[in-house]
Amino acid sequence: MTRLLDVENLTLQFDTDEGRITAVDNVSFSLEAGEVMGLVGESGSGKSVTAKSVMKLNPSNAIYGEQTKITLHLDSGPVDIMSLKTSNDLQVVRGGAISMIFQEPMASFAPAISIGNQMVEQLQIHSDMNIKQATELSIEMLDRVGISDAGTRFKQYAFELSGGMRQRAMIAMALSTKPKLLIADEPTTALDVTIQAQVIDLMKDLVTDFGMGIIFITHDLGVIAQTADKVAVMYLGRLVEQGSVRDVIRQPAHPYTKGLIAALPQLDDLDTPLTPIPGDIPSPLERPPGCVFNTRCSAIVGDVCTSAIPKFLNVTDEHQVACHLYDEGASK
Amino acid sequence: MLEFSKFVVVRGVLAIFTLVLVSFIVFSLMELVPGDCAERYLSFKNSQGSMISLADIQAERIRLGLDKPYIQRWGVWIINAFQGEYGDSCILRLNISQLLGEKFWLSLGLCLSSLILAYIIAIPVGILAATSKNAFLNNSLRLVSYLGLALPNFLLALMIMLFSTVMFGDSLTGLFSKEFRDAAWSYERVKDFLGHVWLPIFILGWSATAFAIQTVRALMSDEIGKLYVTAAAARGVSGRRLLLRYPARHALSPIINSLGFDLNRIFNELPIVALILTLTEAGSLLIEALARSNDQQLAGAIIFLLTASIVGINFITDIILALTDPRVRRSIVG
Repeated sequence: MTRLLDVENLTLQFDTDEGRITAVDNVSFSLEAGEVMGLVGESGSGKSVTAKSVMKLNPSNAIYGEQTKITLHLDSGPVDIMSLKTSNDLQVVRGGAISMIFQEPMASFAPAISIGNQMVEQLQIHSDMNIKQATELSIEMLDRVGISDAGTRFKQYAFELSGGMRQRAMIAMALSTKPKLLIADEPTTALDVTIQAQVIDLMKDLVTDFGMGIIFITHDLGVIAQTADKVAVMYLGRLVEQGSVRDVIRQPAHPYTKGLIAALPQLDDLDTPLTPIPGDIPSPLERPPGCVFNTRCSAIVGDVCTSAIPKFLNVTDEHQVACHLYDEGASK
Repeated sequence: MLEFSKFVVVRGVLAIFTLVLVSFIVFSLMELVPGDCAERYLSFKNSQGSMISLADIQAERIRLGLDKPYIQRWGVWIINAFQGEYGDSCILRLNISQLLGEKFWLSLGLCLSSLILAYIIAIPVGILAATSKNAFLNNSLRLVSYLGLALPNFLLALMIMLFSTVMFGDSLTGLFSKEFRDAAWSYERVKDFLGHVWLPIFILGWSATAFAIQTVRALMSDEIGKLYVTAAAARGVSGRRLLLRYPARHALSPIINSLGFDLNRIFNELPIVALILTLTEAGSLLIEALARSNDQQLAGAIIFLLTASIVGINFITDIILALTDPRVRRSIVG
């Protein structure tokens, strides 16, 4: 396997009227080509912001930490994404080597521009194709993602398509430039469960065909279990646990991950009461000191939880957790 | 193309239907005013010293056709109105089309020019205000625009007149110089007209611009925050193309939509400006007809022409909308 993406010490703050808000705090992870990584967490955990950082797509009041280093490894050599400044330079990570699909396919197409027009526009930005070639490729891509009568759909507008069809079109558009990395921000959350399964299957097929890496953002551990190779769990801007899907879901180590899994409804035993994680995610303006999860944690070890930021420790070689429970000498 | 022609036809039929409906309302309002044309004219005659009997009024009524049923008279009125014929004025006994003459078209031209001026300024400035993060620029734009909204037109007109009279000895009133007032149209008259007409256009356009800047800015700010703009940026669309093709284009639809409303607002402001600048135009004539002489026939004609202009503008803006926004096309044709 070859390394595709390295994110090192990603720290991101937003400059707002209420002061600086830390959205992402010292997050590091990496992704191999052809690998699917699930990025899991509640709303407000910073997962979307993390993914958008890879495309430098955050609003202009975002301030990246000085230690932040994001490297995309392409055949032509590594790209230092943080050093990209002009919109021309940024094109390689915006629709070129990296594409993104969003949660709401309806809202992510411009309503008054036809789907085909938007696809052709993207192809013309990122390749030397003329309109005819771009049109042919776009229709081919629409056909490829399972949209029937692709030639007609190409001329239509987002509001004329069904929800599942729109998300397929979005995927077709994202993949038309043959990106190396696809960022999918809750791509199935807004869809019916049956359509959701179709879209997930489609994405899995396409990963194999195109050999690209995927960062799959979701709050749904069930979807992660089906799709991802590895998973990273985020809470309040910090990574708390990461590892292979099998390890993290079968033997979760962090109390937060355990809570997330326990909160899933059990279809085989409907009488089991749901066990939600108590409390709410704190406001980013009032980040708790020490471990960010200490306000809701049921396994507090002692003062260390509210005073020291936990370091990443190996559970196994492929499974790391940041929790004081596993500190050396800590009583379990 | 077929779809588009169908849209134009459907929308055209709707426009004419609206106009017929409005004409009915206008005609009914004219009828609701106590008394009728015959009584009004004869009472006017009476005040001039002639002796009038009840039989004279009855004879006048029959002569004017006022004894016919209400619906029938509306039918005759609307058919004539569509041909540009509005009958005679109750009091002045003159043909209304001749009486109005070019006044209505001058008024409409004034309002339209102000409207165009307003948007020529407001669209770029509004976009700039919505996208710029420069606090000084934003605050000064806000100040100018609030000034435009708060400063009454007549006050602005008076200030300019005062300034011009003191500085240049010319009060800048009227639409024509004295020698051209009743002359036929000629190259010199056009030149004279243009030399006068800029002032009312500027004054009417002043508040319209302030209003339009606020609208454009709010709509642009709304659109810029939408997901499809982020999505387009994520596909590598950038710079001016991203701004104009995505948020600006989509903010345009509601602006085009409100043009008819804007025109009406400007027309409402016209009489007071006209009063100060001593312009002869249809707005003041309408007030005169309604408030002073109670000339329902004339008032009805002006209201009908104004409504027809607004319905016409709305028809045109809907065609433009249909060309730029597929959702509108679909909503009417189905």
